[in-house]
Amino acid sequence: MVTHEDVLKIARLSKLQIREDELEAFTKDMDEIINFANTINQAAVESSDFDHINRLENVFREDVVEPSLPSEEILRNAESQEDGYFLVKKRG
Amino acid sequence: MEDYGKIKKLHDSLQKKEFSCEELTKTYIGAIEADNPALNAYVHTTPETALAAAREIDAKIARGETLDILEGIPMTLKDNISTTGIETTCGSKILEGYRPVFDATVWELLRRRGAVLLGKTNMDEFAMGSSNETSVYGGAWNPHSTAHVAGGSSGGVASAVAGNLAVYGLGSDTGGSIRQPASFCGIVGLKPTYGAVSRYGVVAYASSFDQVGPIATSVEDAALVYDALAKQDPRDSTSRGARELACGTLKKDIKGMRIGFARQYFDGVRDEVREAVERSMQVYCELGAELVEIDLPQLSYALPVYYILSCAEASSNLGRFDGIRYGYKAKNYGDVNEMIAKTRSEGFGKEVKRRILLGTYVLSAGYYDAYYKKAQSLRGMLVQAFQSAFERCDVIAAPTVPMTAFERGKAAQNAVETYLTDICTVPVNIAGIPALSLPCGFDQKGLPIGLQLIGNSFCEATLLNAAYQFEQATRETVFRAAKMGVR
Repeated sequence: MVTHEDVLKIARLSKLQIREDELEAFTKDMDEIINFANTINQAAVESSDFDHINRLENVFREDVVEPSLPSEEILRNAESQEDGYFLVKKRG
Repeated sequence: MEDYGKIKKLHDSLQKKEFSCEELTKTYIGAIEADNPALNAYVHTTPETALAAAREIDAKIARGETLDILEGIPMTLKDNISTTGIETTCGSKILEGYRPVFDATVWELLRRRGAVLLGKTNMDEFAMGSSNETSVYGGAWNPHSTAHVAGGSSGGVASAVAGNLAVYGLGSDTGGSIRQPASFCGIVGLKPTYGAVSRYGVVAYASSFDQVGPIATSVEDAALVYDALAKQDPRDSTSRGARELACGTLKKDIKGMRIGFARQYFDGVRDEVREAVERSMQVYCELGAELVEIDLPQLSYALPVYYILSCAEASSNLGRFDGIRYGYKAKNYGDVNEMIAKTRSEGFGKEVKRRILLGTYVLSAGYYDAYYKKAQSLRGMLVQAFQSAFERCDVIAAPTVPMTAFERGKAAQNAVETYLTDICTVPVNIAGIPALSLPCGFDQKGLPIGLQLIGNSFCEATLLNAAYQFEQATRETVFRAAKMGVR
């Protein structure tokens, strides 16, 4: 059973604010989804190790220095910036 | 054999100067102006850059140069594929106004080959949805009946391609998002093998599931685009490229090809859909293929496994949206923590929040082993189950979706019920194998039904060959062009 407290705790971990009027609906949805997810508990698993899809291994490139984007480009979509840095308010 | 592909025909016409690339592009731009209001397929159009690209191609033709097969062909991209300087919003308020400063590799590959981009198409927010209705721009509608959805999450691409507002488009498929809308709209959609196509610059939903692929009106067009996309990319360490190209073997005889079917794929499938898929298997028999019954009891766990793992990955991937570096930022806040939480709460829609919450839940202390780890083990089991199945058959045939297109507004009513409709598409994303959807009939309302063909890892060539032969045998009865757009 997923409780209001569970949802509020998970929301805090996810950096999401849940308004009072949304809490009941989110709790109900989460409870239904978790119940649905619980069906995997019926499955017997003989420890099949899953490392990565298709047993793929990383495909590494040669370690050669290549030009990267200039900082003006990287900062182009940021609302606040100063001296080539992203600007954020101090932690409270 | 008749060719149903549009790309080769348009290529020949351009090369023979039957019309110019500018004229062709203007025809599509005009059709978008006329018919997009009814479909809501495009969310950003790029007529100026499209016409500029078209004029360059016309100059090449005038100089007598030979065009690449994809050169000058008007197309579209799902709005989660990064395009330099062109808004890329993933159907979300949190990315409003975001203009990438780099191209996704898939777009770079096509742009370099002279593709003409008409605009970006609608999608469920961050590709999370099955009806396109979680988009901040609202749903994309079905060209066969605008009272029905185009499907999701690549609903805009499917709507645009089926509505003749683009020759082809690129979608992304995490749990069915290329195949399901292709099925609903009566066209062809291919999800390649995980690792065949680069994910660089494609905004991530669930990184171990996401894969980009073509949506087109014919198997040949899908194969041409797949061959162009499946390249190893140094910027995506999981990309391998194609093991073999698909176009050269499309027309191969399929006598003796083993087509597998598993009864588990038909559980809960509507009668009309089941009958259409059974008729399709009869077509394969007539083409000389051999039907092989296989057993996949592991499919019953596919949906919860998919939702647990994809949401876990999503909760981590979507952590980057904090209002600092790009996109929407909340206005009034105290400290930086409040700014981030407010930005995310105002910027994300309900379905995205639900999946972030679920993902965070299954990864949190006390639940990790019971959900995430268990689901990963079951993922391994499903990979093995498909591997054993492909020892006995070359391709598996199944429905793409248990039903035809939903009516507007129906998918939004219950989260779990909507998740259940992904039952036929999610297994291949879990296993990382390729699959496509192609039209195989209509229901009583005239809405298209999709046949899903599933292949073994990196066997896209076999898959597209099987699809091409089916298309040759059935096209006249299973494909209808929508009466809108460029005809």
